[in-house]
Amino acid sequence: MIALLIANSLALASLLIMLASGLALIYGLRDVINFGHGAIYMLGAYLGYTVALVGGFWLALVVVPILLAFLGIAFEYLALRPLQSRSHIEVALVTLGLGIILGQIIIFFYGGVARSVDAPEVLSGSVTVMNLSYPVYRIFLIVMGLGSCALLALWLRFTSSGLYVRAVSQDPSVARMMGINADRLSLLVTSLSAAFAGIAGVLAGPYLSIDPGMDVTMIVNCLIIVVIGGTGSIGGAIVAALLFGLVQVAGSVFLPNIAALVPYILLMAVLLIAPRGIGRGRVLN
Amino acid sequence: MNDRTTTAESPRAAAIGAFGGQSSRMPLTIVAVAIVFVVGAVAPTRFAGDFVLRLANEGLLLGMLALSVAFLMSQAGLVALGAASVYGGAGLLFAIAMSQWDLTPMSAVCASFLIIVVYATVLGALIVRTNPLAFMMLTLAAGEMISHGVMLEGLRDYTGGADGLVVNFKGSILGMEAADFANPARFWLVAWVAAWLAGLALWTVGRSRLGAILRAVRENEERMRFSGFDTYLPRLIAYVLVNVVAAVSGLLHVLNAGFVSPESLGLSVSTNALVAALMGGIAGSVGPILGGLIFSFAQDEFGARGLTQLLTGIAIVLFIVVFPRGVVGGLWSVVQLQARALSGRRETS
Repeated sequence: MIALLIANSLALASLLIMLASGLALIYGLRDVINFGHGAIYMLGAYLGYTVALVGGFWLALVVVPILLAFLGIAFEYLALRPLQSRSHIEVALVTLGLGIILGQIIIFFYGGVARSVDAPEVLSGSVTVMNLSYPVYRIFLIVMGLGSCALLALWLRFTSSGLYVRAVSQDPSVARMMGINADRLSLLVTSLSAAFAGIAGVLAGPYLSIDPGMDVTMIVNCLIIVVIGGTGSIGGAIVAALLFGLVQVAGSVFLPNIAALVPYILLMAVLLIAPRGIGRGRVLN
Repeated sequence: MNDRTTTAESPRAAAIGAFGGQSSRMPLTIVAVAIVFVVGAVAPTRFAGDFVLRLANEGLLLGMLALSVAFLMSQAGLVALGAASVYGGAGLLFAIAMSQWDLTPMSAVCASFLIIVVYATVLGALIVRTNPLAFMMLTLAAGEMISHGVMLEGLRDYTGGADGLVVNFKGSILGMEAADFANPARFWLVAWVAAWLAGLALWTVGRSRLGAILRAVRENEERMRFSGFDTYLPRLIAYVLVNVVAAVSGLLHVLNAGFVSPESLGLSVSTNALVAALMGGIAGSVGPILGGLIFSFAQDEFGARGLTQLLTGIAIVLFIVVFPRGVVGGLWSVVQLQARALSGRRETS
């Protein structure tokens, strides 16, 4: 029972980590929360659905992130760079507007009905570990989530571009003075974050349903995670995503009546205790 | 601004001046504003049909909601994305108070209003101490919390779930009965007066000491704290104040419609209010209300083709990037330019 609970919450957290760390990365470089991230994730899910129909799930898992990385590049060049001089709130509102536009375009092409993607043959059964039977796909999800999380951590810690990203996140002006090109890094980070959203979208297909409301649900969850984790802290976001997954899954088991409200209760509780979140995010004004 | 030019301006420009900018001839401005008020209160009920009046009523109420969003944006630099939860929440509470608690209409209004104010105060106490970006995320989350909470299975008997609630309105509020609120021409008067009161109230607050402190905190919170100002309480007061305006708008809406749907608590209503505010221009009181009217008529034009949401998104981007001052701000700067050009010509001749 407890093992199942933890496994389920890890599966949910895996998706959330991919999205929330993408948000935190962009925030670190640009001081902007991308309110359109949910729509990018939704685009990933729908594109994944289409590509999976044509060429199968594995192809979708490769193609969609690449496509979305280009979307990220476009987002960087067409929105973030021209608006660099504007206030962060205004840019955040622009991303909100762009997210609404993208969401509506997707609904226009795919209609308002929910879709589902079948997991590939290899991942469709379930395995029995210690007398507990568990769906293989969720294990795959956990591996992907934790794997990408580990890759991200390795990149940030052991490569020079990762070092630069950390430097800009910590103090943008000093980092620029030391000769770090924040624009080029931002291009990398934005495309990376969109690609991650694409992976999350494709992975969500067989796990959750693909429906027109998924962008708002996901962005609200991610924002809760980012706030709990301490805005801009990637480590905090990862911990918060795990906590969020656990609370969400436990809520649906133990408090089915108010399960939908449990994440918000968690958010309010964290805000009461630690208004700046649990991580060591950059304190900003 | 040159003195001679103010006399040459239209009453409307003078009205804009009274709300959005500085005016040099107060008595004249007051007369002009009063004329606009009276004409606006009477003319539409005489000349406009019921359908147009209904749209205009919707527009005024959305304008009041936009006003609450705009005030917080322009004075405190905070963007609230959960305005609909207060707007729809007040209406829903009124409907519940009428159908479940068997209150008289007036006490139902008071009860729902009080509950909303308490909710806004508690929520505000939690979230106004965060930074503006976190505030934006938190209001979005709180709004979603309320709109999900309303849909909970366990509360279905209370809130009506996805079906919404019909208001069983017997008796009267301030001498008006259900039929009066449902009558577009009569309701126009109510909405018009309410919009003016809300606009004047927030305009006054914006020009008061509280407004000055709010703007200073918006510019640099640390400096204000360092200078010995309390930066928390003013923002909390402002947050509660705008929610009072939003709640009044929501209560008027449910009185007018006689029905409250869960959609009125949803994110799309909040973004509509945001768009109305941006469209009209967030500085001053005229802009957001005018924006609400524009939005209402535009929605009627394009909504049937299912384009409302798409156009909402486009409008957010367009007005922030290209016209950050909105329609009223843009018109006002055109008027000022014209006035300057005019006075320049007179001086040279």
